[in-house]
Amino acid sequence: MYKFTPYLVKTLWRHRGRTMLTVSGSAVALFVFCFVGAVQEGLDRLTSQNDSTLIVFQANKFCPATSHLPQDYDQIIRKMPGVREVVPIQVFTNNCRASLDVVVFYGVPAKKVQKIRDFELVAGSWSEFKSNQDSGIVGESVARRRNLKLGTKFSVGEVKVTVAGIFNSTDQSEEDYVYTHLDFLQRTPGMNLVGTVTQHEVLLEDSADAVRVAGLIDDEFRAGPVETDTRTKGVFQASSLADLVELIELSHYLGYACVGLMTMLISTTTFMAVQDRIKEHSVLQTLGFSGSIVFALVLAESILISVGGGVVGTGAAMLTLAGSGLSVGAEAVTIAFSPSVGLALTGLVGSLAVGIAAGVLPAVAAARADIINGLRQA
Amino acid sequence: MLIEIRNLTKSFQKGDETITPLRDVSLDIDAGEFVSLMGPSGTGKSTLLNQIAGIDKPNFGTITVNGTEITTISRSRLAKWRAANVGYIFQTHNLIPVLTAYENVELPLLLLPFNRAERRRRVQIALEAVELVDRASHYPRQLSGGQEQRVGIARAIVTDPKVVVADEPTGDLDSATSAHILDLLQRLNSDLGTTLLMVTHDAEAAAIAGRQLRLDDGRLIDDTQQKQSLITTAEGTANV
Repeated sequence: MYKFTPYLVKTLWRHRGRTMLTVSGSAVALFVFCFVGAVQEGLDRLTSQNDSTLIVFQANKFCPATSHLPQDYDQIIRKMPGVREVVPIQVFTNNCRASLDVVVFYGVPAKKVQKIRDFELVAGSWSEFKSNQDSGIVGESVARRRNLKLGTKFSVGEVKVTVAGIFNSTDQSEEDYVYTHLDFLQRTPGMNLVGTVTQHEVLLEDSADAVRVAGLIDDEFRAGPVETDTRTKGVFQASSLADLVELIELSHYLGYACVGLMTMLISTTTFMAVQDRIKEHSVLQTLGFSGSIVFALVLAESILISVGGGVVGTGAAMLTLAGSGLSVGAEAVTIAFSPSVGLALTGLVGSLAVGIAAGVLPAVAAARADIINGLRQA
Repeated sequence: MLIEIRNLTKSFQKGDETITPLRDVSLDIDAGEFVSLMGPSGTGKSTLLNQIAGIDKPNFGTITVNGTEITTISRSRLAKWRAANVGYIFQTHNLIPVLTAYENVELPLLLLPFNRAERRRRVQIALEAVELVDRASHYPRQLSGGQEQRVGIARAIVTDPKVVVADEPTGDLDSATSAHILDLLQRLNSDLGTTLLMVTHDAEAAAIAGRQLRLDDGRLIDDTQQKQSLITTAEGTANV
């Protein structure tokens, strides 16, 4: 088939206006498809996190602003079987509701951050962070979105932080958070939260049964000053994002609709191209081109248009996702929209599949057309 | 015998009417012959040409070209057979507009097992035969009608086919250009030994062929033999 490449390329170029418009339409459809896919991937990453981490939250509370657990619960939880580490965390967010620009502060004992997270500082230093109470380390996505640089002082509500470091993480949703000293966040003016935290993060031994430990924790504090509700981190995050999950599930259909639209668009263009060239295809068949070669030529045109749109749309989506640091969050849990090799491959393979699906009918029509009738066309 | 046609009948439906342009036609054509086929419009000249070229199938009868009975083979095998054995010259040239003259001539060779160098050599020879080497990189829109037809002829002979069929090759051309094209066809036949079957309306064009056939009411009449027998009869009368 490669021998026919000049013919294929020149044929597409002959109607370049139509070709470009179709490629652009396909690119837009693939761009939206990849964006929807990125949101879904982000949600999947959050909700499928392994069971080796538990989140202890105040029972019957949903927003971090209303969950207040005694900080010293960590001492009791630490002694339970199967528990490796307990980290008290104060959470502060500028918006508990679903929003595209959520800034979430995690107040954590400074010396424990490196123990519980795999952060790598791309700017700043750990010592600077540990030695300054009002400093924070900022995820790359937040830094990009809010244009934060090393040494920048910024404030959200009453929380005023100096950037001591910018980090990246293998868990991309972490890059939407700002980590500060626990006592600093507890002492934020107007909050008076000393002695209480929003939640405890419990890291379990590899052999521990997460459900059993969660039950033990909740049983322990059922009769205590504040009742707890303990779940694995994945379940906790899925529950926090419950409202968004429904929207994201719905957006799936938007992605599929885009793919359907793209199929129709390319199929229409290919059909038009075939109808324009009924005589040309008959001439080719007179010269000895078989029906299967004509079929393959038409299918190849459809695939070239589709994959062209796929490359442009997927590439644009990946660049936008990588450069924008976009995320959506609710109740201090954020879903990072980030590019991935899997998503890019899905986009490209999807565009190839669309090209084939869109081209089959026009290709069959071209291959089966009667030669004599075709030659009679004006 | 290169082409053997036996009892060929072709009919088709046009509304309620059944049209039979070819009725029990039989014909033999030797290798290297130049045959012209004349007749009024709608008498089935092009239909017969298309049967021989393997792009249309008869209702009855057989066509054997170089030992292959083409009326019974499948559509895909027929396409392969056409690529190797038939050159087709169209009335309206039918060049592919997005391809250069060189690429148009090369097109049938892409279907045959030739490497790039061999393709280049054959295209060069074909373009030299029609005296268009200097127009190889031109697109059809940059060529005159006569030049386009010469490219069409080069495309038809480039695979060195067993038979070249030409459907009104001068029908779209002015008289001067027509004469040039007819001269070219005659040279292809005499110099290269190409077997040619040409459909034409034009009696002068038909006259350049070594053998002239006429289709009348679906039946084939060999004018050359009639002329021959008239001459023989006249000579016999004179001798008496």
